[in-house]
Amino acid sequence: MSESTVAAAFDVYRYDPAHDAKPRYQRYTLNLSPHTPVLTALLRIRAEVDPSLALRYSCRSAICGSCAMQINSKSRLACETHIGPEMARHGRIVVEPMRNQPVLRDLVVDQAPFWRQYDRIEPHLRLDPAHPMPEGRPTPMTPEEVDRFKETPRCIACAACFSACPAVEADPEFPGPMALAKLYRFVVDPRDRAHQDRLVRIQPNGLWLCLRCHLCTEACPKDVRPSERIRDLKEMAIAVQGATENGSRHAVGFKENISERGVLNEMRLVRQTYGTVGLVGQLGQGLKIVRKKPEVARKPHPIEGVDELEKIYAALDPEPKEGP
Amino acid sequence: MRRHEVVVVGAGLAGQRAALAAVEAGREVAIVSKLHPLRSHSGAAQGGINAAVGAEDSVDTHIYDTVKGSDYLGDQDAIEFFCREAGPTVVEMEHFGTIFSRAPDGSLARRAFGGAGFPRTIYAADRTGLALLQGLWERLGTERFTLYQEWDVTDVVVRDGRVQGLLALDRRRGEFEEIAAKAVVLATGPAGRIYGRTTNAHSCTGDGLAVAYSAGAFLKDMEFVQFHPTALLETSILITEGARGEGGYLRNASGDRFMAKYAPHVLELASRDVVSRAIVTEVQEGRGFSGPYGGYVHLELMHLGQEKVESRLQEICDYCRHFAGIDPVTQPIPVYPAQHYMMGGVGTNSRGETNLPGLYSAGEAACVSIHGANRLGGNSLLETLVFGKQAGVAAAEYAATAPAPAMHATDLEEGTAAFRAWSSRTDGEDPSAIRNEMQQTMDRYVGIYRNEADLLEGLKRIRVLKQRYAKVRVVDQSRVFNLNLIDAIETGHMLDLAEVIVVGAYARTESRGAHYRTDYPKRDDAKWMRHTLAKRTPEGPNLSYAPVGYTRWEPKERVY
Ligand SMILES: Cc1cc2nc3c(=O)[nH]c(=O)nc-3n(C[C@H](O)[C@H](O)[C@H](O)COP(=O)(O)OP(=O)(O)OC[C@H]3O[C@@H](n4cnc5c(N)ncnc54)[C@H](O)[C@@H]3O)c2cc1C
Ligand code: SF4
Ligand code: SF4
Ligand code: FES
Repeated sequence: MSESTVAAAFDVYRYDPAHDAKPRYQRYTLNLSPHTPVLTALLRIRAEVDPSLALRYSCRSAICGSCAMQINSKSRLACETHIGPEMARHGRIVVEPMRNQPVLRDLVVDQAPFWRQYDRIEPHLRLDPAHPMPEGRPTPMTPEEVDRFKETPRCIACAACFSACPAVEADPEFPGPMALAKLYRFVVDPRDRAHQDRLVRIQPNGLWLCLRCHLCTEACPKDVRPSERIRDLKEMAIAVQGATENGSRHAVGFKENISERGVLNEMRLVRQTYGTVGLVGQLGQGLKIVRKKPEVARKPHPIEGVDELEKIYAALDPEPKEGP
Repeated sequence: MRRHEVVVVGAGLAGQRAALAAVEAGREVAIVSKLHPLRSHSGAAQGGINAAVGAEDSVDTHIYDTVKGSDYLGDQDAIEFFCREAGPTVVEMEHFGTIFSRAPDGSLARRAFGGAGFPRTIYAADRTGLALLQGLWERLGTERFTLYQEWDVTDVVVRDGRVQGLLALDRRRGEFEEIAAKAVVLATGPAGRIYGRTTNAHSCTGDGLAVAYSAGAFLKDMEFVQFHPTALLETSILITEGARGEGGYLRNASGDRFMAKYAPHVLELASRDVVSRAIVTEVQEGRGFSGPYGGYVHLELMHLGQEKVESRLQEICDYCRHFAGIDPVTQPIPVYPAQHYMMGGVGTNSRGETNLPGLYSAGEAACVSIHGANRLGGNSLLETLVFGKQAGVAAAEYAATAPAPAMHATDLEEGTAAFRAWSSRTDGEDPSAIRNEMQQTMDRYVGIYRNEADLLEGLKRIRVLKQRYAKVRVVDQSRVFNLNLIDAIETGHMLDLAEVIVVGAYARTESRGAHYRTDYPKRDDAKWMRHTLAKRTPEGPNLSYAPVGYTRWEPKERVY
């Protein structure tokens, strides 16, 4: 195996609330082969240079979800991000704790906000106690039904999506991409008996706060594609309830917005949803997003997958369909 | 002081299942886990879980395969119970929410695993462990219990001949606390990090075994350590048997498919121990490749073609690309065996009971024993659930009538005195240096091939490391998430266990299952068909032996 090395410069966020007035960045330089994962480098720093560096890690193989952090400003798993490409692109490797969760120390964040949202979606099968499994079938699930679960069970609860999500940042009530993807997993489960209830209850302060920016899908190391699952949930929610929630109106606005411009302008969408007066109340959120994530307002992003949009139109257009 | 009826230590599959059983039995339950439950190492299991559910398969063949796989060191009564529980356990997990892969007719899909007479390994794509962990956590979430998340248990307190509770460190606050309990279930999982080359996660440091051993429990059959033949060279990340099952070749540096020499009929598909030994022999005799991470051989998938490799061996492709920078479609994969599973553990019966009243254990931390000298793939996930439940039921029964626990005011003070000493030292050694040397020692002297001289050398070195450890120093003075302190605690645990492994391996003058002595290459049933029990004394482990549970399966030579 070839063993050329690169001199990798790490700028690591250090902060111990008990001792430090404010966070600082500490520089460590190590000679490493380019395919060394950032986690391996951090563990070498701990073993050889500075045992006081705090971080979470366990499996070192992208399956336990412990080691998500900001690496050169992107939410990534440290154990599967290689130093070579990072050095080539950025000339150094800035390592910081995840966002949207308070820092406990160095790279360790308090994940309580993330788990609270996970709990909120009632992450367990709600079965009919008299008939826990669908009746009249030899097996609880057909292969086709199992196919619905391609992506969501891959989730390792790493919270990279939660860290990347501007809607979470703007509104702590927003469940966040992981919890919504998890909700999807129960809504499509043929054994679950609470599909409608789940879809109704997730709407206030929930589903419709998603901005469809796809940053979660971009951040997800397991290809769960949360923004696509959220899109599916929105479709199903409309089908169940019709356009009654503000959110569904948001979807109507969304449709007009798209048909006009083919792109999504978040600020305009907020106005269409709540009216100019209602906007004042919601503006808080919009403004917060714009302040913290200027790119959301500045450049409307093209939307991938036009067919998906067609489906939303179909769901919106004539009469709302019956729920599943 | 915190107080609970049943405290389960560990929230992997075994711990969660035990907690669920104890809650269902009406007890008040707490779980203490150093990781968030969903980050437990159970989530890393890819292959699957065994259950004889197909029409052509039978519970009896599952029993026979397990007894034979164990090289006749497994307790046959426990194995019979275990295999009978398999079907109902899998169905129960499905009801809890686990989504298994299905065959076209809608029945549970099954794949073939080494050492099994039929394809009986039920799976959820290539992430069975994660699917089980998610399903069980979702189910457990509907019950009431207390979760101490990111707390490390450092001691089991035993007084008046029974368990009174625990001491544990809350990582987040950096405080040690007492948790009084009527019954304690240790389900702390693997101990693979005693070795440098291991497929196990960093958290797999055998804490539960070490605290049980310190408290006076027996450790059973610790010398039986399973090595997986194909781990990625540098990181020892597991490359599953599937790679060979789909037709992968193993080649040495001269390009020979060397398995032809060691297993002429089945070649690469020989059992794990045979393939592991073959790879080590090739490398030791100079026919392997060499590089900065030591000797290795090649696992080749290139001849299978891009289509097959990418569709059938997707996760292996991902692992190679992400963690080794290698594309298995066009490049050979450098592999070498790595520690994979501990057959030994806290000695229990099939109710999870140890020799200490009030102390229970289950999962990879425990040794019932159903794996004997060699575990079959797919049996350990099943073990966590079957015996996790039993341990939870037994602990709940015991706690229902046990007297209130009696922790003393001095327990905490005494149990944590050493930790304070480490932090106030001005000289002394960092735990990571000691840990690294322990790992190298175990890789080199207590690995796949063992002999008297190596084992004695290994023991000598481990004892020197224990002396050095007496002067370990923790430099990090912060309380919050002090990993330096946790490293020091875990290193101490692993040194104790390393000593037990070497002493047991030295005493066992035969070869059986995963324990291979070049100076005693034959199995010796007359003398050694018995379990090793290690008890802690100030001088080191004291060994005694116990008979193997026998029902109806006569020992035969183990050939595949
Ligand atoms: C890569 C890999 C693949 C595998 N594939 C398979 C397979 O396909 N089929 C199969 O049957 N088996 C497989 N195994 C084996 C199997 O996964 C394990 O034996 C099993 O999952 C162990 O489960 P457990 O509940 O005992 O421990 P774990 O899941 O490891 O849980 C241990 C728990 O204990 C906690 N803990 C540890 N120490 C402390 C402490 N001091 N204080 C508090 N809490 C603590 C941890 O936080 C964790 O929650 C595989 C193993 C590996 C390494
Ligand atoms: S698409 Fe929605 S959930 Fe995903 S990051 Fe953007 S706002 Fe958050
Ligand atoms: S959806 Fe993806 S990014 Fe979000 S928690 Fe799950 S695995 Fe991580
Ligand atoms: S260490 Fe487990 S996901 Fe990175």
